[in-house]
Amino acid sequence: MIKLDKVVKSYKIDEETVFYALKESSITIKEKEFVSIIGPSGSGKSTLMHLIGLLDKPSQGEIIVQGRKISGLNDDEISSLRNEFIGFVFQQFNLIPKLTVLENILLPSFYARKKLEYDPKEKALGLIKRFGLQGKEKSYPNKISGGQQQRVAILRALIMEPKMILADEPTGNLDSKTGQEIMELLKTLNEEEKITIAIVTHEADIAKYGKRIINVKDGKVV
Amino acid sequence: MSYFLFIVKSALEDFRRNKLQTFLTSLGILIGVFAVVTLTAMGLGLKKYISDQFDALGTNTLFVAPGKLLESGGMGASSLLGNRFDLKDLNSLKRVRSIKSITPLSSKSGTAKGTKKSEFSTIFFSSDAFFDISGFEIDKGRFFDKRDVDKRAKVLVAGPKIAEKLFGSISEALDKKVTIDNVSFVIVGVIKSKGGGGFGGPDYDSYFFGPYTTGFIFDPDKKFIRFAMKTDENINISTVKEEVKKEMLKRYEDDEFSIVEPTEILSVVNGIFGILNLVLVAIASISLLVGGIGIMNIMYVTVSDKTKEVGIRRAIGARKNDILFQFIVEAVALSILGGALGLGLAYVGILLVQPYFPAYMDFTSVALALGVSSAIGIIFGVLPARKAANLEPVEAIRYE
Repeated sequence: MIKLDKVVKSYKIDEETVFYALKESSITIKEKEFVSIIGPSGSGKSTLMHLIGLLDKPSQGEIIVQGRKISGLNDDEISSLRNEFIGFVFQQFNLIPKLTVLENILLPSFYARKKLEYDPKEKALGLIKRFGLQGKEKSYPNKISGGQQQRVAILRALIMEPKMILADEPTGNLDSKTGQEIMELLKTLNEEEKITIAIVTHEADIAKYGKRIINVKDGKVV
Repeated sequence: MSYFLFIVKSALEDFRRNKLQTFLTSLGILIGVFAVVTLTAMGLGLKKYISDQFDALGTNTLFVAPGKLLESGGMGASSLLGNRFDLKDLNSLKRVRSIKSITPLSSKSGTAKGTKKSEFSTIFFSSDAFFDISGFEIDKGRFFDKRDVDKRAKVLVAGPKIAEKLFGSISEALDKKVTIDNVSFVIVGVIKSKGGGGFGGPDYDSYFFGPYTTGFIFDPDKKFIRFAMKTDENINISTVKEEVKKEMLKRYEDDEFSIVEPTEILSVVNGIFGILNLVLVAIASISLLVGGIGIMNIMYVTVSDKTKEVGIRRAIGARKNDILFQFIVEAVALSILGGALGLGLAYVGILLVQPYFPAYMDFTSVALALGVSSAIGIIFGVLPARKAANLEPVEAIRYE
């Protein structure tokens, strides 16, 4: 489904020095998989996750999403892929503070260029009900707990019915019990909705939810 | 909710959260729009006021004045040439058949003494036809008539303002004596108010009107400053002008007199006020420019403040143009907010000065104010918005 083919991410520090955030690595994530990418901080796993999430472009190599080479797409096409194909979940939740819970969940649908086959608002309200956030629709993010915020972020990721959810340290800002709940939720989405899940973490406890674990160390997939 | 509504709503939510900053940012535009609208309202009002005075003369009127009236700097300059025309001219013009009625005009200024007060005033000397030509209406008493002219009667018709000043009230003034430069006149009538005055146009309400023959007391040379005439409405006015010109050329050179329609004076007035308005708007526009720069500055700050938000929006699928649009909408909303407040303030201001000044606000200035403020929002918002749109998603989302 998504393939990183010999990708390298490097930054030129000055004329002579080049810093390699990610050395030549290849990864394939298949449909309906649950993959954990684990590595200590500074290992390059965040870079890897930004590349998988199409937020960043590799310095070398190619990313192929469902058979399409990313290097041949323009910025708008890549934006649309992020919009329709991937749902992001972040460590900091990254909700927009001035928007309500419902508006945050609906946000990706405002940027959709394709015609949706469902009413996003109805879908959002259904998700809110299903994931136990009823009554919070009109709340602002700072008025709800961290666990609830992360759930809102997951619903935002789900609103476009993506093929894949990409979660960057999704439990990093939560206590372990809430963290577990969030991980169970992702597991359910993978098993019941057949959504591909890729999580990036430095915690082995979290990584073990994945059916396949990818280790990243010193800027390289091992 | 549509995409556009959503963008607008989230911009307004930002303003709600930063009320003071929003207000201060839009203040520049507020002051600019206030200045532009108020100044144009005053300019327009003044123009309308003067136009109305000439409009009152009606369409079938002509003036004959000494010198080149419209080319030598207007009425004032021609008045400096002094009284040029005489009774011979009057009689020869009376022979022009397309002229229905004609009056010579001369004037005398001096201190007028009434029963209550003395006041500096002006008498317009004319024939009885003047009231019809100028469209005056009588309030109390009567106009002077042909017999008064023939008898060189020392009678005057007073404007309501001067009548009230000199005698306490309009009805008090009737049949009273008024002395100007030691000559005594009897007031036989008071005209209805023509309104206005004080802005360069003739303030008929503060004038006296007397028979031109009586005016010779002050002018042994028996000269007139100009003629005013009503033409036959069945005859084309330019034909009448040709006939009058032919008559005048018998005694004068072509450059010694002008034949003018009020509409021509009107077009000169319009021209002058057109330029005046342009200058006023240009000056006021400077504050709009400053306001626009203020908005640009704040928008740059906003873009920095919202780097993370831009990153989030990009991550979930917003395109560069979506971000561009969002920030432009915000800038436009800011300047329209300022524009609307400025407009409201100008409206109040105009209502306040209206009793003293003929300020006049029209739809054009409202449309212009809002149009200009949205244009400012777009022009000064586009650069910061482009900066936001061009942020790299990965760097924006990492931004703390």
